[in-house]
Amino acid sequence: MIEALFNQPNYLAANKALDAVVLRQQAIANNIANLETPGYKRVDLAPSFEAALEQATASGDPQQLAALKPSLAVDTSAVPGSLDGNTVHLENELMQMNQNSVAHSFETQLVSGMLQRMQMAITGKDA
Amino acid sequence: MTPIPAINPNLSSIMPNVDMMTPESGSLSTNGIQMPSELAQASSVQPPGDSFSSMLGQLVSDVNNQQAVSAQTVSALQSGQSVPLHHAVIAMEEANVSFQLMVEVRNRLLDSYQEIMRMQV
Amino acid sequence: MIQIISGIQNASAALDAEQTRLDVISQNIANANTTHGVDGKPYQRQLVVFESALQQAVNSDGSLQMPPLQIAKIEKDTSPPIQIYDPGNPDADGNGLVSMPNVNINEEMADLVSASRAYEANLAVVKNSHSMAMETLAIGKG
Repeated sequence: MIEALFNQPNYLAANKALDAVVLRQQAIANNIANLETPGYKRVDLAPSFEAALEQATASGDPQQLAALKPSLAVDTSAVPGSLDGNTVHLENELMQMNQNSVAHSFETQLVSGMLQRMQMAITGKDA
Repeated sequence: MTPIPAINPNLSSIMPNVDMMTPESGSLSTNGIQMPSELAQASSVQPPGDSFSSMLGQLVSDVNNQQAVSAQTVSALQSGQSVPLHHAVIAMEEANVSFQLMVEVRNRLLDSYQEIMRMQV
Repeated sequence: MIQIISGIQNASAALDAEQTRLDVISQNIANANTTHGVDGKPYQRQLVVFESALQQAVNSDGSLQMPPLQIAKIEKDTSPPIQIYDPGNPDADGNGLVSMPNVNINEEMADLVSASRAYEANLAVVKNSHSMAMETLAIGKG
């Protein structure tokens, strides 16, 4: 019974998206910290994971969604901005962080709203 | 939030004479209050002949598991392991929601039991 | 100690590193005209060298590997002092040449700008992570 409550595709998708956003923030933070490290290659969400997330969300299959595991990978499309091979571009990282921040607010509100609605459905009262 | 002690799945502590109340259908609507439709679907998938009391027993143990998972995640976070903050918060909220569900089920059952008891024979 | 805000350990190490860099730069600038130090020689420019990235930042399972970020060393710039012709200077040698510190102000200013930029970027990361954590704590509340 509890399983059915929390296994809805929308809820699972929102949770996985939130996982992805949090992991991405760590990646961006690490990139910015290594702005001056010679030879550092920037990291981001693995393209395979992003594709899997999109596909699972579109399909709406709870098992597929639950099996997703967010992962990071070295960004192979980034080009070095300096002679020491460092591929971090500060403006790009800051912009990505901005986008990610908004995505985090969105996913958090989504998950929060779903939990609140569950509570309202159960108790008939506002939280 | 203090950890909630393990719930004793002994149903007589929740409500007496549960077997008296086995409804024909598997839905949980009592007093006209509808539970979320997903629950009705899930409970109607139970094999016929499975009694209402076993369904309640399942609910209690599921809720207990949820509480245990939440307590485990929170203590992992507090002991410094790298648990993402949102996992701990969401686990706590889910445990909360499922606990509320169980409490509401109990309340509704109690209400309808008392209503039946009040009926003139 | 609870790591409530995840992913900012390296940001704080980077802030330390950039702060050190700023200190070194301001020392260089302050001593740009010191022809006669405690040891009798002109001031020697110092520079900060960062540790190279020894390995990929991502583990095989897709999780982030966070090697501690460190300044490798602060080393002295071994380029020779700049010779300037100034016979009136008390430190002039027999030919009227004064050895000035090997500090190029323009270079130092450019370094200063890039160190400040990196510092502020890491500060923005910390602020951002903090506000994300606060949002997370509000999940489930109205």
